[in-house]
Amino acid sequence: MPLLKIDGKEIEIKSGTTVLQAAEANGIEIPYYCYHPALEIVGSCRMCLVQVEGMPKLQVSCNTFVGDVPPERKVDGKYDMVVDTQNDLVVQERKNILEFLLLNHPLDCPVCDQAGECYLQDYSFKFGNAHSRFDEAKRVRPNEYLGSQIVINHNRCILCSRCVRFTQEISGTSELFVEARGYNSKIAALEDKPLDNLLAGNVADICPVGALLSTDYIHKNRIWNLKEQPSVCQDCSVGCNVDVFSQRDQILRLTPRENHDVNGYFMCDIGRYGFHRFEEIERVTQPMVRNGESFDALNWDKAIEKTADLINKSNGKTAGIVSPFHTNESNFLLGIMMNGVLGSLPPITKKEITYQSGFRISADRSPNRRGMNNICGEIVADLPSEIKARAIHGLYILDDGVDRESDDVWKEILAKMDFVVVQTYAMTALARSANIILPGLAPFEREGTITNDRDRVQWLRSSLPKKGESRADWEILMMVMKALDKEEQTFADVGQVIKVMGEKFPAYKGLSFFRLGPHGMSLNGKASG
Amino acid sequence: MKSNGKLKQRFTFSDLERVEQIFSQYPDKKSATLPLLHLAQSQEGYISNSVIETIADLVDCHSAVVMDCVSFYTMLYTKPQGRHIIQVCQTLSCSLNGADALVDHVTDKYEIKPGETMANDRFTLMKVECLGSCGTAPVVQINKEYHEGLSTQKFDKLLESFE
Amino acid sequence: MNTFKPVLTEYIDQQDCHTLPFYKSVGGYTALDKVLKMNPEDVTKEVKDSNLRGRGGAGFPTGVKWGFIPKDSDKPKYLINNADESEPGTFKDRLLMNKAPHQMLEGMVIAAYAIGCHTSFIYIRGEFYKEYKLLEKVVTEAYENNLLGDNILGSNYSLDVVIHRGAGAYICGEETGLIESLEGKRGWPRIKPPFPAIEGYLQSPTIVNNVETLSCLPHIVNRGAGWFKSIGPEKGPGPRLFCISGCVNNPGIFEEPMGVSLKDLIFDRAGGIPDGKQLKAVFPGGSSSAILTANEAIDVMMDFEELVEKKSMLGSAGVIVMDETVNMVQACLNIARFYAHESCGQCTPCREGTAWLVKMLTRLVNGGGKPNDIDMLFEITDNIGGLIDFSKGSFGKTICPFGEAVAWPVRSFVEKFKNEFMEYLTQEKVVA
Repeated sequence: MPLLKIDGKEIEIKSGTTVLQAAEANGIEIPYYCYHPALEIVGSCRMCLVQVEGMPKLQVSCNTFVGDVPPERKVDGKYDMVVDTQNDLVVQERKNILEFLLLNHPLDCPVCDQAGECYLQDYSFKFGNAHSRFDEAKRVRPNEYLGSQIVINHNRCILCSRCVRFTQEISGTSELFVEARGYNSKIAALEDKPLDNLLAGNVADICPVGALLSTDYIHKNRIWNLKEQPSVCQDCSVGCNVDVFSQRDQILRLTPRENHDVNGYFMCDIGRYGFHRFEEIERVTQPMVRNGESFDALNWDKAIEKTADLINKSNGKTAGIVSPFHTNESNFLLGIMMNGVLGSLPPITKKEITYQSGFRISADRSPNRRGMNNICGEIVADLPSEIKARAIHGLYILDDGVDRESDDVWKEILAKMDFVVVQTYAMTALARSANIILPGLAPFEREGTITNDRDRVQWLRSSLPKKGESRADWEILMMVMKALDKEEQTFADVGQVIKVMGEKFPAYKGLSFFRLGPHGMSLNGKASG
Repeated sequence: MKSNGKLKQRFTFSDLERVEQIFSQYPDKKSATLPLLHLAQSQEGYISNSVIETIADLVDCHSAVVMDCVSFYTMLYTKPQGRHIIQVCQTLSCSLNGADALVDHVTDKYEIKPGETMANDRFTLMKVECLGSCGTAPVVQINKEYHEGLSTQKFDKLLESFE
Repeated sequence: MNTFKPVLTEYIDQQDCHTLPFYKSVGGYTALDKVLKMNPEDVTKEVKDSNLRGRGGAGFPTGVKWGFIPKDSDKPKYLINNADESEPGTFKDRLLMNKAPHQMLEGMVIAAYAIGCHTSFIYIRGEFYKEYKLLEKVVTEAYENNLLGDNILGSNYSLDVVIHRGAGAYICGEETGLIESLEGKRGWPRIKPPFPAIEGYLQSPTIVNNVETLSCLPHIVNRGAGWFKSIGPEKGPGPRLFCISGCVNNPGIFEEPMGVSLKDLIFDRAGGIPDGKQLKAVFPGGSSSAILTANEAIDVMMDFEELVEKKSMLGSAGVIVMDETVNMVQACLNIARFYAHESCGQCTPCREGTAWLVKMLTRLVNGGGKPNDIDMLFEITDNIGGLIDFSKGSFGKTICPFGEAVAWPVRSFVEKFKNEFMEYLTQEKVVA
């Protein structure tokens, strides 16, 4: 393996690694703009220049590959390459490049969304000059919409071309291009082909400065006001890793989190903007019981009592409806509780989309169908027949949380029921047909595990506080089970549920928050279903 | 990039034989982009959005990529020009030999500044960079032809011959 | 007083010099015939031995460049004839294409054979329309006479030539910018490595050679590497087409051996400066070279090494003469504006720096000079093009040599005519 000496540090690295990658992996900071690990190397920003011994000209470290050299060419007899990122020449060069980049850049920090997470700010502070010597008229252009979700501020753009390369290589849709040349270059999209593919939001993430901005987030808040919570997207079964940014009880934005086994560096716009759905729905935050056409609120003890009563009176003729939108723990507990017929609501499927880079949006728009099938092996295929055959006349439903009218099959099923208990967070059409509503948590409030369609178990973290009297779904189920005398033990937290889950389903054995880590764990084909 | 108005009809090449010949020469379709753009411009006078879409289809890539290419080159126009495009070289050797006077002559006589077209579309005036004939400076390219070693009088006479 | 017998431009005064029958009558295509019976490696060796250096501007040894083509690659090889002559002060390739197109074509086939190429391109600048039409005829003529296409001159070797027009971009004369343009994209030069000889057009090994370089090849084959090496200095020999323009009585192209004196070129061949004016400054190698003052120019021999010693370069041998009436600041602005217009915009120092230079120089010329402008001009050119000492190796900060190409001339103007720049700082509006 080649031996690299960088800033006096000796590092052994794989042949073909670039100096920039080696530096990053070993805690040496080299500034860069145009380089992105997911995109083709262009070496155009010139920010990552370093001194390589033996070459008088500074080299761009993003394109300088380290490999084995013959013994007679090794430096000091043992190094395949010696690099200096701190000498006077490099330090001065960074200042110069930054000065060039800031020539036309407006002093917008006070009004620019990127402030606080801006690489121009950071590098200027660390590597740049305190002031610019540019004394001429700046080039000024008006902002433009490149698509409905992305606006570009041309004056801030440093033409790193990451966004153009993204639409060419990742989404393969090529909406963005560079228009004109030289000083007049600017990023553009054709008027009749705007940047409106489902990966568009990513260009605002990869833009290192505040040029490309998300219209959804623009001017809403400041990054330093927001709490950042790593979690997993729940809008389809791919399970992209995300960072949820929130302030108090409101989500401001989602950005993708790196996970090379799931989503790489990116996420789709469906998941990115999906959180708005929860701002618009009618939330259920109190246990309720039907009174004619409307509902009366009641306290938890009463609600649980009534629920247990209904189930006990049915003499085992109650079916449980699990949900691919709920965590493994909730589905698991309902499975134990019902110990009989299990089904699920009709799936929500849309188009499966795969992009040029392999990034996928799955057709199944529920996050945990795989987990649901793993943890509840007794889900029946033909629910209506089973209901008929076993003369089921009561349902305990974990609601998907998607407001939709029931199809004919389900209308019939619901019509035949003596009672329906719905555990949900929103007043969906299904909830409206319930006898008892038990308020659970909304997706961004839940904690637990979900399994994506490639058999990866990931930990879902709650980003928002609970609302009203809502309780965690597994907690509600635990209370009902206690009231039914069916409960095997009391769980203090969801981790304990997982432990029991693992004992019953070997593939999930030994899972814990720390074991899953930030990137989850593959089940390696151990689970079935 | 703003479009030039709604497309009514898709652009098609009139010399299909030439189009086929162009494709046959290159090992890769995309290399035919520039020759096709030249062909389209000689047919239409400029590169409209419709031309870009047609060429993008033919070379099997996105319209934006073709537009990216078009906007880079000075000889490809995205707007209609005058009937005769006067391009006066302004680089050093021509500038040292009276190129500025030629530009001023056009401005004085035909009342257009560099970058402008006459109201009756007769002439468009452009200042361009080195045309590669510095030995016969000053050099003016009108449409496809070079006119070299021009004095103001010769230039004036020459311009009158263009309707 | 011209004692050197021209080699490349021997017949340009003859009426049919561009036709095939004429070219054949003076021995045309005998070199090709000879080459087709040689091993390609031997052809490369002969060219290496001749010390032929590229005539496009970079001056890289041609035979050495051909040697970079990987022998064990099964990818197709490509030869590109760079006819995108756009360097200010240079107009020799146009002459060769108009008057000796078959000589150039023969050189192309020889080069293509040496590197194992079967599809080659002539990338001709878009503005050379007349030359393009002529080359079309020439290439057709060659096909019809078994000089191109299958089984050339009865051998096993086949070659196709495609003529590809540019569309107005100086940067497409840079070899990787040219390759990008040929691939149908904008002419943004590529980072190196990988080098074109390894991964060029369509990721295949590609050689880019200039028109004049290729035109030398038939003569090297016919008369031998030794003959070529004997013309001018051994390290950079051969006949060279020197282009002289600007403030001279007889601007034009003069074929001389490498190492001819610049004084002779200006005052003898080009007839000296009109109206008895004095020489002030001269570009020796196109506008991308540093200017020489009259004192410096007077004893310069025009070859690669000597000009490097004089801290300039031979480049494309485009001599631009400036006399005492030329305002150096205006000339500097003219050149800076050329580069700002032609900058491709890809990398930071060039894109922002060239525009900054133009803005600053324009302000200076219009009477708005500020005290630290001179120092700033030095700084900016250093930041774009790096330390200007070609002998130590290029110190540029940009992807392609464009950075150096704008920095050197502009810096040399400010350095060598500082007093003129200073005048603009102390006076109001200075009329040139």
